[in-house]
Amino acid sequence: MENVLGIVFAYSDRAAMRELTKIRTLASLPIAGKYRVIDFILSGFVNSNIYDISLITTNNYNSLVDHVGAGRDWDLTRKIGGLRILSPFSGENSIDGVYKGTLDALNRNLGSIKRSHAHNVILSGSSIVANLDYQELLEKHIKSGADITAIYTKSMNGGKTVPRGVSVIEMDETGRIEKLKINEDDSKIQDVNWLLDIFVIKKALLETLVADAISVGLADFHQDIIKRLSGTLKIQGLESANQFFEISNIRGYMQANMNFLKKSYRDKAFEKPVFTKVKDSFPTLYKDGCYVKNSLIADGCKIAGHVENSIISRGVRVEHSAVVKNSIIMQNTDIQGGARVEYVISDKDVIVREGREVIGHEKYPLLLAKKSIV
Amino acid sequence: MSYMNTKETIAMLLAGGQGSRLGSLTDKVAKPAVPFGGKYRIIDFPLSNCVNSGIDTIGVLTQYQPLELNAYIGSGQPWDLDRLYGGVTILPPYVKGKAGEWYKGTANAIYQNTHYIELYDPKYVFILSGDHIYKANYNLMLDYHKEKGSDCTIAVIDVPLEEASRFGVMSVKDDLRIHEFQEKPAKPKSTLASMGVYVFTWEKLKEYLELDENNPDSGNDFGKNIIPMMIEAGENIFAYEYKGYWKDVGTIHALWESNMDILDKDKGIDLDDPRWKIYSRNAVLPPHYVGEGAFLKNSLVTEGCFVEGTVDHSILFPGVTVEPGAKILNSIIMPRAKVLANANVEYAIVMPDTIVPRDTHVGHIPVPQEEDGGITVFSGKEK
Repeated sequence: MENVLGIVFAYSDRAAMRELTKIRTLASLPIAGKYRVIDFILSGFVNSNIYDISLITTNNYNSLVDHVGAGRDWDLTRKIGGLRILSPFSGENSIDGVYKGTLDALNRNLGSIKRSHAHNVILSGSSIVANLDYQELLEKHIKSGADITAIYTKSMNGGKTVPRGVSVIEMDETGRIEKLKINEDDSKIQDVNWLLDIFVIKKALLETLVADAISVGLADFHQDIIKRLSGTLKIQGLESANQFFEISNIRGYMQANMNFLKKSYRDKAFEKPVFTKVKDSFPTLYKDGCYVKNSLIADGCKIAGHVENSIISRGVRVEHSAVVKNSIIMQNTDIQGGARVEYVISDKDVIVREGREVIGHEKYPLLLAKKSIV
Repeated sequence: MSYMNTKETIAMLLAGGQGSRLGSLTDKVAKPAVPFGGKYRIIDFPLSNCVNSGIDTIGVLTQYQPLELNAYIGSGQPWDLDRLYGGVTILPPYVKGKAGEWYKGTANAIYQNTHYIELYDPKYVFILSGDHIYKANYNLMLDYHKEKGSDCTIAVIDVPLEEASRFGVMSVKDDLRIHEFQEKPAKPKSTLASMGVYVFTWEKLKEYLELDENNPDSGNDFGKNIIPMMIEAGENIFAYEYKGYWKDVGTIHALWESNMDILDKDKGIDLDDPRWKIYSRNAVLPPHYVGEGAFLKNSLVTEGCFVEGTVDHSILFPGVTVEPGAKILNSIIMPRAKVLANANVEYAIVMPDTIVPRDTHVGHIPVPQEEDGGITVFSGKEK
């Protein structure tokens, strides 16, 4: 078995996520009832037998650290390898501990990367929900003899819209990357290769590339490695057949959640175990008079009302004659008697009082901030 | 150099029982490993009680079908019992010198593990069993034991007179000093039944275990031999009255009924208590899915379930599937079982990994005096 180090840039946040990522990183955003986005990434590594993982953090990472702890629930409390949280390392050129780019982030954690005994490194962003077979990516990388393998997809979010800021690549007939450009508008583009933030690279090469780039003031992996060096290095594009969902805005987040209501998607997503923090909640109690339809519901809930087309996290209460439709309800939210909630994303510990109505729109779900009281 | 490290109190958990009255439920697992309450196993109760009471050193004595139980307990991590010093230790029978032997009785099992107990040099030892559903703070019992200057304190619960002959019953004086112990008497003299929870001052217990061991006629049992011998010798034995939910789930009917009790707030067993959590080894499964056409009423559903049928006053364990048109009433569906379309299950316990075929009917409304209280155990057709 190949020795691999997984490095996750656990600090992606998106302005378009509004209040959801003000209090946490995208990586620790709740998803699918009992998970956080990072669970899918960590479980993917563990299911691919990769037990040496570093999480690079910058700010807002309290909730992430609180969630992953020492990594025990992912079987990542290991003597050899295991989970490491690389907290921000402020240097003379950084502002408030925030890295200037992915290369800067790697450079400031180069000491830790150098200590790993791994031959290869898999780099991953943290804004994508997928259950990837990293071992397979690694095998293909080694077989192709590429210096860097960059993973791309043609079927992001099941749709064709490519948001602004996404890197799109073009390759020659052998799959070698020739061009990389940043998408400048939200226009619908057919058949583009959406570059994911997932790369496979030899560790020694990564160390050299990072040191070189930093010495000349370069900071971004897409621009300054993939694009700049595509002529000199063999940078191979590799399409992944997995379904990917990028969480870049509220609608994308809603969609990524609602996908779990489809059996085919759920079966695929949970083909291998997805690990998460164990909470020891009691099973969910369905009381007299409840009505539940097409919903994914975590443990520890008390359901006495009407729940339809919704994702319900742990410890949620839906009281008698309350209605919850087409919504994402996060941990410990209280929907009191007779309240009505539709097209809503309710963050943790929200209370919707008796008889109140909170109704968003399919295209613009209403967001209830953590601990708010309606 | 070395550090002295002792524990004032440790617990010994008797988990070797076959539980033969549970029929096919214990064909492959020891009774303490039988699933209970939607996501737990019986042994989670004494283990969680210990941990919540601050007892972090527990010896688990196994003998019958230990594999699944051993795997379940593992390092003890789910109960926070993976400790540098103490924690949970599985104690199977083992070979000593030339002859190995099985545990002959409950007292013999403890006697054979004297060296384990002495590793921690404890003052007090709890003897617990893995057969009962209850929440108890053992600390309160220990305080009582110390206060009374007791050598042995036995937790008791007041039961109706007509049920008393199923238990070990204690006759007590006004100060709760025990002067007579009857094991499953035909004519009980008292209604104070032993809960199978003892705390001993270790020095005393050790003395009597040795005496008992030297008596070839002894059955080496706590209830039948050790306790009567201590009463006889005039040692300080007190009853500790427990008030709360307690159930011996030794029979199919009792196991079913105790599960049903969880669904009823008035029965006094609240497992959803953040101050007294029952810990268990969680299955790694996604949240459950409730589909179109499902009808749920007064039921517990947990992770990995897929429900499209009717579930009324029932408990679904992890990974259970209920297909469209299936009806489940007053039943317990154990892990990973599947109830296929239009099947009907009532007053039944459906065993783990079984399939209830389409259009079949399992169980019936119980008639009093029936065997197993009229509760059907479905163990047919494994996946």
